[in-house]
Amino acid sequence: MKRKGGSDTESLTEKLLEELNCDTVFTIPVFGGIGVAESVVVTWIIMAVLVGLSIIFVRNLKVENPGKKQLVLESTIGWAKDFFEGIIGKENKRYIPYLITIILYLGVSNIISLFGFKPPTKDLNVTAALAIMSMFLIEYSGIHKNGVKHWVKHFAEPVPVVAPIMVLEIVIRPLSLCMRLFGNVLGAFVIMELLKAIIPVLVPIPFSFYFDIFDGLLQAYVFVFLTALFMNEEQE
Amino acid sequence: MGTIIAIGAGIAVLTGVGAGIGIGIATGKATDAIARQPEAEGKISKTLILGCALAEATAIYGFIIGLLIILLLK
Repeated sequence: MKRKGGSDTESLTEKLLEELNCDTVFTIPVFGGIGVAESVVVTWIIMAVLVGLSIIFVRNLKVENPGKKQLVLESTIGWAKDFFEGIIGKENKRYIPYLITIILYLGVSNIISLFGFKPPTKDLNVTAALAIMSMFLIEYSGIHKNGVKHWVKHFAEPVPVVAPIMVLEIVIRPLSLCMRLFGNVLGAFVIMELLKAIIPVLVPIPFSFYFDIFDGLLQAYVFVFLTALFMNEEQE
Repeated sequence: MGTIIAIGAGIAVLTGVGAGIGIGIATGKATDAIARQPEAEGKISKTLILGCALAEATAIYGFIIGLLIILLLK
């Protein structure tokens, strides 16, 4: 095949940059205009779908003669509960609904590119917000379990020399959570876009299975798993 | 200028070497462990996935830096 020269790569770069941008969909006309990014709108759609499904699924639940739907629901939720209980222990049951919510949101948002939306986790702000929420939860769980005194003291353990590193860890843990999720989703997205731009027919299908479905779900799992693990660590 | 940027991005992506070695060693050890104790497979693969995700993060950082170099240093 003859090489077509620079203009082709140029247009490819343009297209890629366009895909990477997070567009502002519309602006709320207060305080000089608040831009609403695309990731926010896609998040609203995901929220609507998840809330709608939750409402539909919990209707007509019965104690006796449960239907098929209820059995599936109960076994799924039971499995998730057992799974998280295995990580963070029985005494931390109160955090499980939060973790399940996050894994549902991340799972849906990572595979939403299959339906033609841009995944919201491709926006650094979304993953940063999630990571900051995780950070507060991690520290809160430590304080709740052992009290403020122990929380302050644990920075100087086992030797006081490591205190700066321990303090830095508060920030580093969410930073690495945020960057890992963002980088993985962005990387998968870029590779898929490049593939689609070069060979649009048939070839992207197997890659899509890996990058869109497997990698997305794995990263959702890893994010929640690490949050739970850090919480566990913080409570010691 | 463009060439230097490309070289810089290429160097940044060399972080992938570490991730590759790390994941390779982890998977090899996990295979060993499963061969020795097949009943512990569930626990081993859980830990393996976690370890792989952590090791992979370095490669991802390199990728992000490479991407930033290309996009920002035009």
